Amino acid sequence: MIALKTVGHPASRVDALQRVTGRATYTGDLHLPGMLYARVLRSPHPHARVRGINASKALALPGVKAILTRENCDVIWGSGDSKNKRYLFNNPVRFAGDAVAAVAAVDRHVAEEAIRLIDVDYETLPFVLDQEEALKAGAVEIQPGGNLSPNNKGEPKPDGYAHGNIEKGLSEADRVFEDQYRSVHLNNAQLEMRVSIAQWEGEKLTVYASTQGISNCRIEMAHDLKLPLENVRVVCKYMGGGFGNKNQCHDFDLMAAMLAKKAGAPVKLEFTRKEDYVAVHGRWPTKQYYKVGVKRDGTLTAIQFRGYSGMGPYRKSSGDIAGVEMYQCPNVEKVVYPVLTNMAVSANFRGPAYPQGVFGIESLMDHIAYELKMDPIDFHVKNMTRKYHDELPYTSFGLEDCVLRGAEVFEWKKLWHAPGAGDGPLKRGVGMAMGAFGAPVGRSSAVIHVNSKGEYQLHVGVTDVGTAAKTTMALIAAEELGVPLAQVAVVSGDTEVCPYSVGESGSRTTTHTGYAVVQAAKDLKQQIADKGKPEGDEIRTGNATPDPAQPKDSARYAFAAHFAEVEVDVELGQVRVVKYLAAHDSGRIINPLTCTSQVKGGSTMGIGMALHEELLYDPTHGVPLNSGYYGARVMTHLDTPEIGVLFVETEDQFGPFGAKSIGESSIIPSVGAVANAIFNATGKRIKELPITREKLLAVLA
Amino acid sequence: MSKISRRAFVETTGAGLVVATSVPLTVQGAPSQEPTSPAPRTSITLLVNGTEHRAEVEDRWTLVEVLRDHLGLTGTKIGCDRGECGACTVLLDGKPVYSCSQLAVWADGGTVQTVEGLERNGRLHPLQEAFIEHDGPQCGYCTSGQLMSAKALLDHNPHPTADEVRAAMTGNICRCSNYNRYVASVLAAAGGAA
Repeated sequence: MIALKTVGHPASRVDALQRVTGRATYTGDLHLPGMLYARVLRSPHPHARVRGINASKALALPGVKAILTRENCDVIWGSGDSKNKRYLFNNPVRFAGDAVAAVAAVDRHVAEEAIRLIDVDYETLPFVLDQEEALKAGAVEIQPGGNLSPNNKGEPKPDGYAHGNIEKGLSEADRVFEDQYRSVHLNNAQLEMRVSIAQWEGEKLTVYASTQGISNCRIEMAHDLKLPLENVRVVCKYMGGGFGNKNQCHDFDLMAAMLAKKAGAPVKLEFTRKEDYVAVHGRWPTKQYYKVGVKRDGTLTAIQFRGYSGMGPYRKSSGDIAGVEMYQCPNVEKVVYPVLTNMAVSANFRGPAYPQGVFGIESLMDHIAYELKMDPIDFHVKNMTRKYHDELPYTSFGLEDCVLRGAEVFEWKKLWHAPGAGDGPLKRGVGMAMGAFGAPVGRSSAVIHVNSKGEYQLHVGVTDVGTAAKTTMALIAAEELGVPLAQVAVVSGDTEVCPYSVGESGSRTTTHTGYAVVQAAKDLKQQIADKGKPEGDEIRTGNATPDPAQPKDSARYAFAAHFAEVEVDVELGQVRVVKYLAAHDSGRIINPLTCTSQVKGGSTMGIGMALHEELLYDPTHGVPLNSGYYGARVMTHLDTPEIGVLFVETEDQFGPFGAKSIGESSIIPSVGAVANAIFNATGKRIKELPITREKLLAVLA
Repeated sequence: MSKISRRAFVETTGAGLVVATSVPLTVQGAPSQEPTSPAPRTSITLLVNGTEHRAEVEDRWTLVEVLRDHLGLTGTKIGCDRGECGACTVLLDGKPVYSCSQLAVWADGGTVQTVEGLERNGRLHPLQEAFIEHDGPQCGYCTSGQLMSAKALLDHNPHPTADEVRAAMTGNICRCSNYNRYVASVLAAAGGAA
């Protein structure tokens, strides 16, 4: 790989100064003159028909300016449910947290008081929380047509794929392993609570949103409010995290807009932390059933998988359970049922379909290796995917290097031992797991201006959700233009002055928008070559909206292998991760400094998912019990080990300078790696996430 | 109790929200001048980042509300508003506190330091420099709180170990989970100060 001048060298964030001085302006930091504050009233019931709403006492409260309910607001949130109509205020309400009313008032305390004064007459309905229960005959129907959410063709069938002949594959096996794994609902829990500020000037709407994609947010706001696109402006300069649950526009953005319209004043709608945990969405809970056939020498002959994902009552995302794809096997059958339930909505959360699926398949494969008396490293190298779905070649492939070089750096051979060996009470063990995540190329735009002083201004519609996207774009521009990074200023986060950018979701920003930056820089260089450098008050502008595609008969993926060492106190059930290595093939690394941070963060998040995070539900009343950081037990400073990061750079001919994706793949293997390390330490395998002290003590006692 | 407007109250008592520096204060997020709830109010004095503020606050306002909405110091963030995440950490009389869990009236007469007060004469605090160099902030939303907890630690323990840093800052959640970077930043700043 040829070294480049700017790309590939560690660079501090171009907006780091703003971030460490408090000068970075997040959505909630904004104040508009005459602005009102809004709060949302939510259903306390998991399923209920609203017989009536009496808001007269709330309306009479001094300072209350507008109240919205289904009676005066029938806006449909288009991206809130891809299969059914999801209104801003639904009747019946279908989960504890479904919105019933929204109030705008002169300050947040008055808005909160007003919410408490609204009387809602509920007729409670039967509810179902478990996705398999929801599919049984006689289960309460959550949406018309039943609880199996239809596939992409609108048919009431599960999703999935198959190749080869599963029966043949199983019959050819020397041994067949059957097992089941479960994962739970957990919240994205980004630090910045949801907030949206809406302001109308005539028919023009400006939304200061906390969104992962200003362009998509704008398109959807315009669609849902039936406005011409040019009448909607979306601004998001700094964004306090989302991990997938601030994609596009949200119901609260639409509520803020409708309240602002009704009140005739700008409205800031704020969530509480409790609302943030239940009212948006988290990761979908899964039940996974596997049947795997294998030859005595470790060769896979069949993988049969049936999974059930609990989507909550609205279908926002796929509900896929991924991981089986990481294995090369001639006979595969995969079926996934996305099921509606009355739990909090489930949709995208970092690596959406993978971490829970990888936990399942990697636990099982680790177990098969153990049963066959194979080192898991050898088993992985023997069986890992070499072609996507056993069919398409990858544009670049670093998975084997991630496993082998990772194992070497981690000192796997030295640390791995017979499961449960040692006397305790402190027992150590190591585990590993693989990961893969798509890195498809696609459409995005960029514009670059240069003046006679040689100052470049790069306009890109990114919001920088913490991924250092602004910096990445500047590095790519500086590299292609052949100028120092300091000469490139980035203008971002405002649809008024930025062209379309793919949302900061799906780990796509670098490959999509970064490539557009390369093309815009090339365009600018061509113009300078044709017309000369700008002089005096001249400005030259380059722009590009490429829509690249890799060959149809190929697949483009980022790969990873993670290695964890844990120390388990077998008397107390306490697990501590003591050593960790994340090996990643993300093509060329644009910025090693910020990329390493992302991998450290994703790995750490995965450790939390493995060991303690869960949104618990009261099965009797159907309500969440522990919404918030303390109860749901996210990772803290004291929980976090030093995460080692190893980049296995591959050459890829697509994307900007051969960069693939990184953000989401960093959480994907980590849950499985920790789970397998616990098995190696204790000789016991916990098949339900999270692997809590209670579950461990139950099997260790 | 009769409903009394904020303006009427301010005019009759002469104890409005004023800044000792006599600069007219833009009252961010202040209620408009019409009747609102008759929440009890108290006059308090705060020394914030070296500037004295006299303010008439509703008794239910938290310290972070006053800092953000009424003094315009939005560098301090609210991540949970219930004492769980530490995004709102400020120093009150030198001690790190969750400013969402302190009523403003409790802080009367107190000295408050926020992230905006870390710079001295246009120079960044060594912690801020280290946070930039070691890539402390990802999304940056928890960063102000991390900085203030780190400052409180270094003020009392200028050369902490990594474990001491983790213990001192464990009340500051970073959901980007950039904990390694924050610890490295604090250790670097401490080393630099030696």
